[in-house]
Amino acid sequence: MSRRRIGVAAVVVAAIAFALLVSAQGLWQSWLSALFPKQPIVLMPRDTLAAFVLQHLVLVAVSSALTIAVGVPLGIFVTRRSGAEFRALVVAATDLGQTFPPVAVLALAMPLLGFGFWPTVMALFIYGMFPVVSGTIAGIESVPRAVLDAAEGMGMSPMQVLARVELPLAARVILSGVRTSVAINIGTATVGAAIGTGGLGVPIIGGLAVQNMAYVLEGAIPAALLAVLADAALAQVEVAVTVPEAAAGA
Amino acid sequence: MIRLEDVTRRYGDTTAVDSLSLEVAEGEVCVLIGPSGCGKTTTLRMINRLIEPTSGHIFVDDRDILSMPAEELRRGLGYVIQSIGLFPHLDVAANICVVPRLLGWEKSRMAKRVDELLALVGLDPEAYRDKYPRQLSGGEAQRVGVARALAADPPVLLMDEPFGAVDPLNRERLQSEFARIQRELKKTVIFVTHDIDEAIRLADKIAIMRDGKLQQFDTPEQVLNHPANKFVHDFVGADRALKRLVRVRVADVMRSPATVLADSDALTVRVGAGRRRFAYVVEPDGRLVGWVDTNEVDRGLRPVEAMTRMDPVEASVRPDDSLRDALSRMLGLGFRAIAVTDKHDVLLGEVTFAAVEEAMTEGDEHISNQPAEDAE
Amino acid sequence: MGAMVALAGATALPFVELRANRLVPGAAHSVAAAGPWAYLLWLLVGVGFLSAVAPTEKARAASSTASGYGLVVALAWGIGHAASTLLVGQPSAARVSLGAGVWVLLAGTAILGFSGGVERRRKLVRWAGPLVLTALAIAAAFAWGGLDRISLAREFAVRASSFWTLLGGHLAMAGTGLGFGLALGVPLGLWATRNRHVRSVVLGVTGVIQTVPSLALLGLLIAPLAALSQAVPALRALGVRGIGATPGLIALTLYALLPIVRNTYVGLAEVDPAVIDAGRGMGMSSWQLLWRVEFPLALPLIIEGVRTASVLLIGITTLTVFAGARNLGILVFEGLGQFAPDLILLGALPIIALAVVADVALSALGRALTPEGVRA
Repeated sequence: MSRRRIGVAAVVVAAIAFALLVSAQGLWQSWLSALFPKQPIVLMPRDTLAAFVLQHLVLVAVSSALTIAVGVPLGIFVTRRSGAEFRALVVAATDLGQTFPPVAVLALAMPLLGFGFWPTVMALFIYGMFPVVSGTIAGIESVPRAVLDAAEGMGMSPMQVLARVELPLAARVILSGVRTSVAINIGTATVGAAIGTGGLGVPIIGGLAVQNMAYVLEGAIPAALLAVLADAALAQVEVAVTVPEAAAGA
Repeated sequence: MIRLEDVTRRYGDTTAVDSLSLEVAEGEVCVLIGPSGCGKTTTLRMINRLIEPTSGHIFVDDRDILSMPAEELRRGLGYVIQSIGLFPHLDVAANICVVPRLLGWEKSRMAKRVDELLALVGLDPEAYRDKYPRQLSGGEAQRVGVARALAADPPVLLMDEPFGAVDPLNRERLQSEFARIQRELKKTVIFVTHDIDEAIRLADKIAIMRDGKLQQFDTPEQVLNHPANKFVHDFVGADRALKRLVRVRVADVMRSPATVLADSDALTVRVGAGRRRFAYVVEPDGRLVGWVDTNEVDRGLRPVEAMTRMDPVEASVRPDDSLRDALSRMLGLGFRAIAVTDKHDVLLGEVTFAAVEEAMTEGDEHISNQPAEDAE
Repeated sequence: MGAMVALAGATALPFVELRANRLVPGAAHSVAAAGPWAYLLWLLVGVGFLSAVAPTEKARAASSTASGYGLVVALAWGIGHAASTLLVGQPSAARVSLGAGVWVLLAGTAILGFSGGVERRRKLVRWAGPLVLTALAIAAAFAWGGLDRISLAREFAVRASSFWTLLGGHLAMAGTGLGFGLALGVPLGLWATRNRHVRSVVLGVTGVIQTVPSLALLGLLIAPLAALSQAVPALRALGVRGIGATPGLIALTLYALLPIVRNTYVGLAEVDPAVIDAGRGMGMSSWQLLWRVEFPLALPLIIEGVRTASVLLIGITTLTVFAGARNLGILVFEGLGQFAPDLILLGALPIIALAVVADVALSALGRALTPEGVRA
């Protein structure tokens, strides 16, 4: 129990530290100037670092929220009797979809949907669905048959079985799908800068284009930290929802 | 053949095996037994150097095993474990040939050996050679495990609870087959088990261990009749008399039965059945078909009319079965005697309740002298 | 359901767009532009709907399969027809490109084909016939049906020579990264099974690397490498520069590590300890155990890791163009930069195809290398 609390506390502290770090524009200015003394401009003038981070977060948050809101119910649906006939199709589609490189999917969004924020959100949303849906299906199907029989035998309705037995037991696997999906979204959102969505990809791609390594670091370091932080935070959520017995078995 | 001198194995502060000395003669089955954690498996694994002793010496064939390369030593010691450990990616034939391949045998010699061994452990070579481990039942897999251990004809077999994971019915069958194979091959066997019945049934010598120390090392009869201390006494259990029956084979106490031919007339029956009340009814080829009350025959009935039919499989035992099998069969059927047949149902003899009783009480006088609260 | 999607695509969305040149948006044309082929499309969508109400399983499968393959062919010829008729009298810069309706129709077709063939998905032989016929029909549409006039084909024609170079560059880059990943990852995975500390460090570090966005990792590698090659001229002579193939290859290798290391580790760690014990007990050396037992059993999982890694690398290779590498990513990002949809497609579609082919091929390889005895 206490180890869990330490983990949560560590993530909260790290998140606050990260927020302070990316807000400290002056710190980056002096630090990057020291590292690249020949470079007259070391921070991308288009926006503050905090703004880049915020754009990135909004992009990921909106697309991941959509992904979860649609992906989890879809995964649940195909494991119900009423959705069983779509299961094979959905599994095949997610398996195939996961082999598509996210960059290519993002690039395809442009000719189909156009430039800007919403097309990128759509691309991230669609691509992020694959791990969430397959995680949900795998999680629910990992619940032992005997447990379901017992639940039904005790007189639970299908909804009660789902809410009180299947979802709690599947939570860890579902969340690990969400975790994968968010990690991919954060990474792919970086590339979104190439289709004009802003975010931390802007200084990286811009810096590479004009050979300004200071810009590159301005984008790359926060992007890496953000990804690791988000992953650690979701790992804590994963631990929190894990049924103790399942944790002991894993 | 195998000699342990003052062998000790420590793990940190705990002593798994504590200055153990044992000598096992060639062709003997030595069973190491004791509660879990007593050091029996550690002892076995020190003999093939999967575990190195902390101190002491182990000799196989008068050679100190620490002076030999571990791999070479192990190739000369057959090894069977409870979880079998068949290689799942190899078929039965390739599994059996692991050691022969390591030794560089020729293909034709290996193929021949596979068939020999499968037949020896009671599996049809045609049917089993090309199967994979996952296609085998637990009992079949353990037979293959035994065949694999025997592949290069090692003089010594090390067996670590080999039948522990098999269901009780199959375990008994495997035990009796192992006893048969052992009578044929005369290997020197070190056999670890926690099942005292198995030990009594299979052992020439039993080594009872507790907390790494040897408690008693003797023949099963001596262990049953003269437990060295209270621990051994309790470990052997209260039903020692019954256990003693496990050691006695039906063949050793059976007597010739009274028989009548199914087709004979009343007159010849009187001669053949002697003065016994009941007689077995057999076909001319000797096959058992039923029993008859000789009084009925006296009243002029032909045996075939008067007899009660018997299922020879249900109502008889084999010469290699133990007296305990015979007793439990008698009790189950409610008879005072049981027929002994061979595998073609030919009647060989019978075992009476009196004979069982006699075997059970043998050695009782020793036991009564044995104080129950023996100091260690 | 596939038919529903196809119907929606055919009615609600533009079929093709006529544009004045390759960059500006154009006027939408409905499926009617396909001329006579439009009727065939409607008919085939109707056949698709039949599959939902067909009385038998067989009829359902047959109608959805037929409509699936049929739609692909009709689409190819319909698009060709639309392109040739719409371009009559237009200046040579004019382009006919595929509308959203075509993509939705294709998705519906895929669903129809899938539900028709779901139960025999594994049997490549049964697929071969219809697939070859369909491919021939599409090729014919290119040669005689006007399909070569659509904008994507025109874009390809312009870039044909550099396209193949870039495709080769893509394969070489991803392949080299995968090779390095294998050369490092398998030994690391093996080491992780032998040492607990190595395990936590290696799996932890590769896990963190995997989380870092690929573009950020690339950026993080470029700056220090640039500094390094400035400081050490000898390295520059070897081609190690901040910009160019080096940072890309390092990033790709790092990304390949996690799936390969993890699967090697899990594959080796999951080998039943009893199997290892049996192997050692029979006198196999550690190398013999590794080569004959552990690796063969872990191989399917290792290949699975290679599959994951290769799909990943084919995608990430696209991004290495930002560090100056030359591959299909150039088409994608030039296309994005010029707002030229067809150029993006020309880069992105082959990347997706490569990933899918690598996935299918390595899955098949994994199945082929799975020892028969452990096949599911």
